[in-house]
Amino acid sequence: MLIYTAKRLAGAIPLLLAVSMVVFGAMHLAPYDVIDSFARPDMTQEQEDRLRQRYGLDRPVPIQYLNWLAGVLRGNFGYSLVSQHSIADDLATKIPNSITLVAPAYLLALAIAIVLGLVAGANRGRPLDTAIDTGNAIGISLPTFWFALLVIYLFGYHLRWFPIIGMHSVGQTDLPDLARHLAMPCLVLTVAFFPDLARYVRSSTISQLGEDYVTVQRAFGASTSAIFRRHVSRHVLAPIITQVGLALPMLVTGAVITETIFAWPGVGKYFLDAVHQMDYPVVMAVLLLSSALVVVGNLLADILYRVADPRVRLTGAAA
Amino acid sequence: MKSLKTGILSLLVAAPLALAGCGNDGADGGGGGASEDASTGAKTGAFTYVISSDPTSLNPINTGDRWGLTFANIVYQPLARIDGATGEQELDLAESIEASEDGLAVTVKLKPDLKFSDGEALTAADVVFTYNIKAVKDNGNADLLWVRDKPITATAVDDLTVRFDLPYYSAAALSNIATETFILPEHIYGAETDFSGSELAEYIGSGPYTLTEYKRGEYLEFAANPLYSGGQPSIEKLVLRIVSNADTVKAALQTGEVDASYVVPAQLADLEGSPVGIYPYPEGRVAYLGVVTPKVDLKLRQALFFSLDRTQIAKAAWLEEKNYQYAYSILPPSNPYATTDLEKYDIDVDKAKALVAESGVADPTLKLGYDGSDPQQQAEAAVIQSEAQAAGITVELVSLDGGTVFDEIEKGVDSAVDLFLGGYIMGIDPDAYSLLFRTDASANYFSYSNPAVDKLFDDGVAAADQSARKAVYAELQAKIADDAVFFAIADNLKIIAINDRIGGIDQAKLVSIYTFEKFGSLTEK
Repeated sequence: MLIYTAKRLAGAIPLLLAVSMVVFGAMHLAPYDVIDSFARPDMTQEQEDRLRQRYGLDRPVPIQYLNWLAGVLRGNFGYSLVSQHSIADDLATKIPNSITLVAPAYLLALAIAIVLGLVAGANRGRPLDTAIDTGNAIGISLPTFWFALLVIYLFGYHLRWFPIIGMHSVGQTDLPDLARHLAMPCLVLTVAFFPDLARYVRSSTISQLGEDYVTVQRAFGASTSAIFRRHVSRHVLAPIITQVGLALPMLVTGAVITETIFAWPGVGKYFLDAVHQMDYPVVMAVLLLSSALVVVGNLLADILYRVADPRVRLTGAAA
Repeated sequence: MKSLKTGILSLLVAAPLALAGCGNDGADGGGGGASEDASTGAKTGAFTYVISSDPTSLNPINTGDRWGLTFANIVYQPLARIDGATGEQELDLAESIEASEDGLAVTVKLKPDLKFSDGEALTAADVVFTYNIKAVKDNGNADLLWVRDKPITATAVDDLTVRFDLPYYSAAALSNIATETFILPEHIYGAETDFSGSELAEYIGSGPYTLTEYKRGEYLEFAANPLYSGGQPSIEKLVLRIVSNADTVKAALQTGEVDASYVVPAQLADLEGSPVGIYPYPEGRVAYLGVVTPKVDLKLRQALFFSLDRTQIAKAAWLEEKNYQYAYSILPPSNPYATTDLEKYDIDVDKAKALVAESGVADPTLKLGYDGSDPQQQAEAAVIQSEAQAAGITVELVSLDGGTVFDEIEKGVDSAVDLFLGGYIMGIDPDAYSLLFRTDASANYFSYSNPAVDKLFDDGVAAADQSARKAVYAELQAKIADDAVFFAIADNLKIIAINDRIGGIDQAKLVSIYTFEKFGSLTEK
């Protein structure tokens, strides 16, 4: 297992390099750069050139890339070109903020999805299934920004239950205050996350119900609920573990739109602002982080799956 | 804030340059009409004002963005200010400002008993210290304190008197000295050598509020400064809350979660019935249609301008007449030097057709570049296209991404577009506009060159008194209009929505860039 993990991690390095090269190249294809985003009209060309020189933007793109890479390898993500802030410091405060928002929403979505998926699968073709499936379809097609505005209108404006802006009231850091601020964005994200998962659970349930072991159980006279409790649910939950692994990068960049609308001080908003300003060190850092999480998440999913399902292990060994 | 080049280049006269983004995020959205009274009514002891992003720089020496300057104006004070409507000087830290006969020396007397928020006295030494570091070119904001190739120097005559010496006479330099430089305490920053960064170790000033907490991406919180020379502000706490989404801001205004914010015309209908007052005011912006002059024949430019109806263009972009004032020259209508005695290009389709014929260009086709993400520019472009068509001029619309419009037109003759939409805020002093229209100036997007105009800009700065300056600049505006470089559309008013529970708005005074000239004068009703 250790060797397997090490191999997978080693295999990820060229992938991450390729991702970083593509992103870096794409950012530098744009016809303007970060200096344009904060240069003032009174600046002479000479002043702008001096700024470009200071940030190394006057060098050829491959050299800029190597400089950036050398920094990252030394664990130095560098500084935002716009704010001059350490990117590592910024991320250290923003990542926990994003996790605070995304983790509860994802767990909630998962719980809802498992229940709805199992129920729908068990009632395949019946009105209940159709209702759940329609609900999922609506959920998938709801644009997040629009749904967020509806939620703000209803709970924030009309009912006045929750504050609209940010993560805390000014000067407060206590838990009830955080919970009140969390309610609406968390609801929006939960609705964004659960339909996909529910469909996954449903189809997985349906395929399990067609398996021989279910027929055998039925033949032995087991009740439907017993079949579900003892057998089907376990088989359905195993593949869910992989979904959780794959969701890892979402913890960091899973809420770009929601964070922007609710002014939640997380990574998503930070990333979006940086893209607008062509602040490439920030964009690169966030993308590298999120692609690294994709790789790690995949790996985690594979490992968990191997742990959960002996058959995969055996096939892997045979191959 | 969008990049400067996306639209507005804004340069305060005497001033640090302020970039004001157009800030037109799609303003329409869900959460429609207000259905209930949202007033919180009660006194909260705080005024919460929305800003759209973190200030780019908190360093008052070099800050140039709207929110950075807003911050500086809250924590620090300048010697004086220039009234945006009249161009008159209003004293702040200074008790008097007097220029010598030859205009080469300016003597500033400070008010007595001025104090920084930490209790130390604010004296002439602090003023000299501030001007000296600002005049250092490496600190990034020295230009206004230089006349041609030499800096203006400051010396302390006594504790309350500072003398500034100018190397050469300059009409503009007088106001450059007096205004928009925020005085820093020498006892705090004296050991600092480099002021080119975007942050300082601490923020101690003499302004109405002191910074108590800054959470990046969330808010800046301030407490009233009891030692402020204008008297302790009556609202104990001031919060600048960072929110970028326009719909979120609108809902927060309706619920009273925030007290004030800039809004756009399209949001006004939704705010009706909410407990917020709407205050439109001119910022001295000129929204315009520009021409890359070397690419388009003069007669054809004039023909195009005569084919346009600025009332229709402005209406398409800003909906209602109360949201804008028509502009006719390179100076905004509120500018004391602005003239209306020039070719206004009021619509005249027959004249336009005649001029097209005179130009000898058969089937003229012009490409108009604009920022496709800006709904106001989209609307302007569509109207221009259809109006020009009536005079037989085909305008092709080229939607570009924000910053690329100005990158494209800076190529001059090689530019892929012939026309472009833009807007700028350059402040009161007409000399600031030379950056746009002087031959080879840094922001001359029009690739415009007329030696007569260059000479008038020189004469304007050298002119002895205001009436002489007025005459020079009137001639200059008329010349640029005749050259059909630039079709002024309107000064679209800045619109701020403020919760009805907040008072003292007249005293605090709505101004360009800083929103409120004196945050300390706001009150809770």
